[in-house]
Amino acid sequence: MTKPLEVEQETSLKVGNVATKSYALQESALVKWSLITISLIFLALFLILPLVSIFVTALEKGWATYVASIADPDALAAIKLTLTVVLIVVPLNAIFGIVAAWAITKFSFKGKNVLITLIDLPFAVSPVIAGLVFILLFGAQGLFGEWLFQNDIKIVFALPGIVIATMFVTFPFVARELIPLMQMQGITEEEASISLGASGWKTFFFVTLPNIKWGLLYGLILCNARTIGEFGAVSVVSGHIRGMTNTMPLHIEILYNEYQFTAAFAVASLMSILAIITIIIKNIIEWKAKDV
Amino acid sequence: MSIHIQKVSKTFGSFQALQDISIDIESGELIALLGPSGSGKTTLLRILAGLEGLDEGAILFDGQNITNVSPKERKVGFVFQHYALFRHMTVFDNVAYGLKVRPRKTRPSKEEISKKVTDLLALVKLDNFADRYPSQLSGGQRQRVALARALAVEPKVLLLDEPFGALDAKVRKELRRWLRKLHNEFHVTSIFVTHDQEEALDVANRIIVMNNGQIEQVGTPEEVYEHPNSPFVYDFLGNVNLFRGRLHKGKLTQGQFEIDVPTYLDSYDDAVGYVRPHDIQIEKEPLNNETVAAKIVHIHMVGPIVQIELKREDVDEYLEAEIPKEHYRELNINNGDTVYIRPKQLRVFIPEDFSI
Repeated sequence: MTKPLEVEQETSLKVGNVATKSYALQESALVKWSLITISLIFLALFLILPLVSIFVTALEKGWATYVASIADPDALAAIKLTLTVVLIVVPLNAIFGIVAAWAITKFSFKGKNVLITLIDLPFAVSPVIAGLVFILLFGAQGLFGEWLFQNDIKIVFALPGIVIATMFVTFPFVARELIPLMQMQGITEEEASISLGASGWKTFFFVTLPNIKWGLLYGLILCNARTIGEFGAVSVVSGHIRGMTNTMPLHIEILYNEYQFTAAFAVASLMSILAIITIIIKNIIEWKAKDV
Repeated sequence: MSIHIQKVSKTFGSFQALQDISIDIESGELIALLGPSGSGKTTLLRILAGLEGLDEGAILFDGQNITNVSPKERKVGFVFQHYALFRHMTVFDNVAYGLKVRPRKTRPSKEEISKKVTDLLALVKLDNFADRYPSQLSGGQRQRVALARALAVEPKVLLLDEPFGALDAKVRKELRRWLRKLHNEFHVTSIFVTHDQEEALDVANRIIVMNNGQIEQVGTPEEVYEHPNSPFVYDFLGNVNLFRGRLHKGKLTQGQFEIDVPTYLDSYDDAVGYVRPHDIQIEKEPLNNETVAAKIVHIHMVGPIVQIELKREDVDEYLEAEIPKEHYRELNINNGDTVYIRPKQLRVFIPEDFSI
């Protein structure tokens, strides 16, 4: 008796998900097409036009200029620095994100809700303020400034500062993605694994990680995109030293302020390409995750 | 393996889940932990598996105190209520898991694991499903995978949490029979949790009835069904009719109606007689004060037993009687008839003794 019922439910659910062909919600062709037209025009004006204009401006003075502005030593240094930051920040945030999500979903402890709220804090705080906080902590006049100076450790206006500020801003992406997923999956599979004699590590690698891998990847992609593009917090802590502490967004700003539009847009086009690749990967992951 | 549960107590915050529980279980028994939801039966099972800690008391496996042994070293096979199969692994990998995660020293070779898993899948009749994922199986099939997975590690104890709860009636019955057969073959000490009295009576060779974190009664299915030691057990195991009255000199009286209860010689103003539906006798004529008039409200006639709902004419109470179909035909009774009923066997409880 139950089985055919289940099947029926499933099919009706699928219909609901794939295409809402509800009779009650059917509108006249006029309404339908005007809504579609409005959204297309909006997309074209606010998304596609700017994107195209980036590439047009970048290639305005020919291919040679384009290549030259990217091959400029300062530009290359900026690209290198951005990639270095990505390579440090994304793996660290993956680990912290998993640890935080694990702590929140698999254990119950006092102050859990405080922790969940704190994870969201970087989203609520303006990145500029986040950057200023780190200047106040690690800057020359800052709380730890004297001690850092005496021990010859450079954080602000150097790579460590950029990494810390970026990590602060991008921390929520992985944790935010994993917490609801892990909450939904519960802990019984882990319990089953332990009762079958697996150690904690084996349980994590064989049971937990495979179950969250798509969510984790999705979070990492978003984290990665934000790490590349982060401007505010990094701008405050980097000090804008050319060829040293300029990331790609900062380099673009400098070029733009110096009226080197073509060069600015050339680097910008490079970042846009990274963004587009990110979106494509993100969609592939979403599509794959749906299958599982 | 024998299990001794000694004075185990457990609280969750202010909720007392288990209160001073002591049970001795012999090696090879098939035990049902029966009780309503919130009675603590699942908590007790999880404590046995080590998935939950206890506040007081001790658990002994084969005389050895394992209270502080981690779940991964207890050698317990646990079948979860919703199976908890690893969703990203095939049926084969699910069953092989417990063997694959063993430390290198004790891990069987790939061939040995493969052979063992194949044997187990044959045992649970899922040989052709080795490459499927849990989401591609029906409820009954998932349940059998969960069992095979638990058996793969050769547990000394098999613990099952509501093993048939989420299945439909027919599959449930089949699996019940199958579990008993499996137990007869393997003789591994098994404990299963259920809230379904029929399931407990049908499968277990001993039943532990629990309520409010305490044990109400322990005994064979026959003992707990035929001789319940409390109103709760009476009520929980099967249907029951209540006769309220005054207990005096071996008689339970209610108005004109009198029931002989020679074994109860004390006097109480307020006593309750408990009578199973099949212990209610239906007569067409009154018999002194020993019968009470009742009107037939409904006759339910599917199967060999006829269920008859009656309404007493002296008080506003409903009764339920069960008689064999042959007897029903002889009686020749119909809806709306007035008949006279007499309890053949009853057990008297004094309410205040059991007011908790």
